[in-house]
Amino acid sequence: MRRAATIVSAGVLSAGLVLAGCGSGDGDGDGAGTGSGGDPVTLTFQSLAFQPESIAANQQIIEQWNADNPDIQVEYLQGDWASVQDQLVTAFEGGTAPDLVHYEASYLQDFADRGWILDLTDLVPETLTDDILDGAWEAVTFDDSVYAVPFLLDAQVIFANKTLLDAAGIAVPTPDDPWTWDEFADISTQLTDADTFGVAWTLKDPANRMLNLAMNFGGGFFEESDGASTAIFGDPEKEAFQRIYDQLYVDKSAATDAIGMGGSDPLPGFFAGQYAMLPKGIWFRQQIIDQAPEGFEWVTIPALEGDSQAQAAAPQTISVAAESEHPEEAMAFLEYMLNPENQALLAKGDWMIPASSAAAEDPVLTETPDWPVAAASGTFLEQAPFQRVRGYEEWKNKVANPSIEEFFANAISLDELGTRLTEDGNEILERYNR
Amino acid sequence: MRGFRTLATPAKYVALVAYLVFLAFPLLWLISTAFKPPQEMALIDPTIIPAEPTLDNFRLAFEQQPLARALLNTLIIAGTSALVTVLLSIPAAYVMARYRSALSRMTMLWVLLSQMFPFILVIIPLFLLLRDAGLYDTQLGLIIVYVVWSMPFALWMLRSYVVGIPVELEEAAAMDGAGKLRTLKDIVAPLLVPGVVAAALFAFVSAWNEFLFALVLLRTPELQTISLTLVKFIGAEGVARLGPLAAAALVATIPSLVFFAIIQRRLVGGMLGGAVKS
Amino acid sequence: MSATATARRPATRPTEPKRKGFLGLDRDGLLLAVPALIPVVLFSMYPLLRGIYLGFTDAEAGRNSQTSFTGFDNYTQLLGDSYFWDSFRIGLIWAFCVTVLQFFASLGLALLLNQKLRLRWLARTLALVPWAMPPVVIGIMWRLVYHPNAGILNSTLKDLGIIDSNVEWLSSLSLALPAVIVVGVWSGMPQTTVVLLAGLQSVSEELKEAAAVDGAGPWQRFRNVTWPALRPIVTAMTTLDFIWNFNSFSLVYVLTEGGPGGSTRLPMLFAYEEAFRYGNYGYAAALGNAMVLVIAVFVVFYLRRRYREEG
Repeated sequence: MRRAATIVSAGVLSAGLVLAGCGSGDGDGDGAGTGSGGDPVTLTFQSLAFQPESIAANQQIIEQWNADNPDIQVEYLQGDWASVQDQLVTAFEGGTAPDLVHYEASYLQDFADRGWILDLTDLVPETLTDDILDGAWEAVTFDDSVYAVPFLLDAQVIFANKTLLDAAGIAVPTPDDPWTWDEFADISTQLTDADTFGVAWTLKDPANRMLNLAMNFGGGFFEESDGASTAIFGDPEKEAFQRIYDQLYVDKSAATDAIGMGGSDPLPGFFAGQYAMLPKGIWFRQQIIDQAPEGFEWVTIPALEGDSQAQAAAPQTISVAAESEHPEEAMAFLEYMLNPENQALLAKGDWMIPASSAAAEDPVLTETPDWPVAAASGTFLEQAPFQRVRGYEEWKNKVANPSIEEFFANAISLDELGTRLTEDGNEILERYNR
Repeated sequence: MRGFRTLATPAKYVALVAYLVFLAFPLLWLISTAFKPPQEMALIDPTIIPAEPTLDNFRLAFEQQPLARALLNTLIIAGTSALVTVLLSIPAAYVMARYRSALSRMTMLWVLLSQMFPFILVIIPLFLLLRDAGLYDTQLGLIIVYVVWSMPFALWMLRSYVVGIPVELEEAAAMDGAGKLRTLKDIVAPLLVPGVVAAALFAFVSAWNEFLFALVLLRTPELQTISLTLVKFIGAEGVARLGPLAAAALVATIPSLVFFAIIQRRLVGGMLGGAVKS
Repeated sequence: MSATATARRPATRPTEPKRKGFLGLDRDGLLLAVPALIPVVLFSMYPLLRGIYLGFTDAEAGRNSQTSFTGFDNYTQLLGDSYFWDSFRIGLIWAFCVTVLQFFASLGLALLLNQKLRLRWLARTLALVPWAMPPVVIGIMWRLVYHPNAGILNSTLKDLGIIDSNVEWLSSLSLALPAVIVVGVWSGMPQTTVVLLAGLQSVSEELKEAAAVDGAGPWQRFRNVTWPALRPIVTAMTTLDFIWNFNSFSLVYVLTEGGPGGSTRLPMLFAYEEAFRYGNYGYAAALGNAMVLVIAVFVVFYLRRRYREEG
């Protein structure tokens, strides 16, 4: 039925498409179904790539595949991170989900529970199984079933203004000998003066990030028993919060005007030397390169060490929709798309770490600025408890993000934060555990 | 308000200028940002007039997202809904103006009520309904929704135009043996043209600007409207490339501004209906 | 908008009072009305009723989910949900502030525009622009204005010496809601201004002159002549503004997405997230029903006012 309606509108559209000229490139996927012989299969792939380089990498890979495989044509759809959750929920519900879905491991548990994505355990070819890191596979495995192929990893690092570090006589640490949180606090204080804050923690929508950093001190935030998760908030969870809070309000070495910032907001201040250091994900390199004024010198500092350097492996993933009519073809495409060579290309496009072990050796990546630091982060990524929590998205979005923002704005105490994360949080989780 | 004159004229000008600044400032800034290169955007002390104006942002905007496609989509959706809205509303408005019936009263009540209900209450069932009808994620589905939701106002406006047409004209036609349908077509419709234009443009602008329904009901990027595409310029972690974002926003505003300029006078008349005229 | 005009019903003359068919319409009447009625019933009344019903069920997203009637369960849950109360409180503050500020700002502008001032044409044009802009564009535009470093507001205020460091307009817990309210006022001003201006222009000049002859000062003339004539319009317009504002979504969705710390999470945003992010349809619909209750209070208030004004 939907077809009929689409065809009507497609007819109207195609006339105008010609006029429109610069559509999304290989836009007219529906028309591909008229080939001779056996009808080629058309797969839709919704990507969340947003940096121009990475969009280009995606499209390049798909064009190559389409040229080599006339029987399985892939159509690229552009998604976006800002609304992906709502978008996928409605698309799955409405029965219009793309065949291949790009998303992040932390949210897949709910999707699997609702029966929206396919159990890929028996479909994943060995080439992928062997090449991709075990830690990444763990993150997409729920109840012994694999629900996605992981491919891009992010890690928390720190970007620093090299000129300011040099002026203060601070040496850049190597990945083998990273700064501890204590050292980082001292150095931040040292870099702070009338014009400059040692560090700018940007803490908009901070839940994912804080849950990640808390792992440095063994903070897991969730306990699991009988398949049901409960939120907890004990000393290990508190540690990272307390330390950042102290930087902001005790040492005053962290800029309070940066806490509400997200995305590229802090860059002007960073470039102007108002913030000496900027903790961010490794992908942020691209933003700096893109916008830095000429002559600005910067450097990537490896992830901090608490009790460990552990961070959550929350890989970006590609899943196959349960409603897809061509799961085998989809997997065939994935095998190609995520081969080491292409993963290197994709990782380069997003300035992230590939989940493929072979891709990490690719010169395409090793020649990017500060690659050793990025690559080293790959080694301490591990499975985090929050990744298998049913209802994590609602917990995060409804309770955790706002409460953590309030905590860092000094509007509520650490204990109050804990109460909200656990008591309010568990009320939400309870619904999902039923 | 002649008495207002006693308020010192300079004070009035100060107030007027304050309004002008408040109203125009954001617009100027949008325009300015649209023409700035990224390096200039990251300056700690921003400039109002770009030092090195560039059209790059517009190029980037069209490259990054299927902006042209989105504009075309919106044009089709808004145009079709405006047309259908008017075609359905003319006869209904005529009935409402000329019959004193229960139906007319119920319709008026609905016109009022429809303004009141939070969309969320309607949109969940609409989503489920369109899904079951195979119209979810189609432009046709969205058009239907727009037609239904801009009809109350169109009806209201057209009704007041019909009321303004002397009944005697129709009575004369009726004496000549013309039926209701013919009377409407030959006598009433031509006199309604200004109202129809206003109602159509209103429906067009509403559809062009609408966001929530489109957000929920259209998923395939290729079908999406301009508002949806604009939101996509805000990437991961809210990383917005401000330049292209501003450029795209500017492009998206132009059509509705133009149409709006055409109808604004009539729209006001329509909004006030009989209330002020009498 | 419609309510404005109901103030005085223009005389309708039934052309065929004799034959009354279905709902008081004859065959021709039905023929003319039905094409419009079918889509209305199907796509507006039916969804509305079903939406109200959904609020009493546990409907949720999922391939195998089953829906059952749960009576008032959703509402007991709502009553105990502090996030819902926060959101409702924010929604009321937002709707109330925007409506009131919008009204006074618009009244001032309308009074100015009703005078013979230079630059009036410019103000008239500018005053209408926000009306024609998609809310998403308005949101984006103000994001640019409020941008902490690259925004024009901070840099202007700094140049004027009003602030000395950048203010985080949209991400400070205390400033975000006021900042968003300003945008709400900006975007809603045109409609209100235009309606008030038209109202002002309809005030009889003779009456004002007569009052002036009687020695009434400007304020007295405003109070005794202009205001009474304007009042029905004002009541209608503010009631509608309030309802629209209470139901608004797009602006805030683009500006803050409900952040920071949930300080701008309007009820519609809350409900949208419940439904389309977490898939809790039933709960979201229940929220919608609660919103209807609030709105109903205002409508009743309005209708009573109008009834009294009409005598």
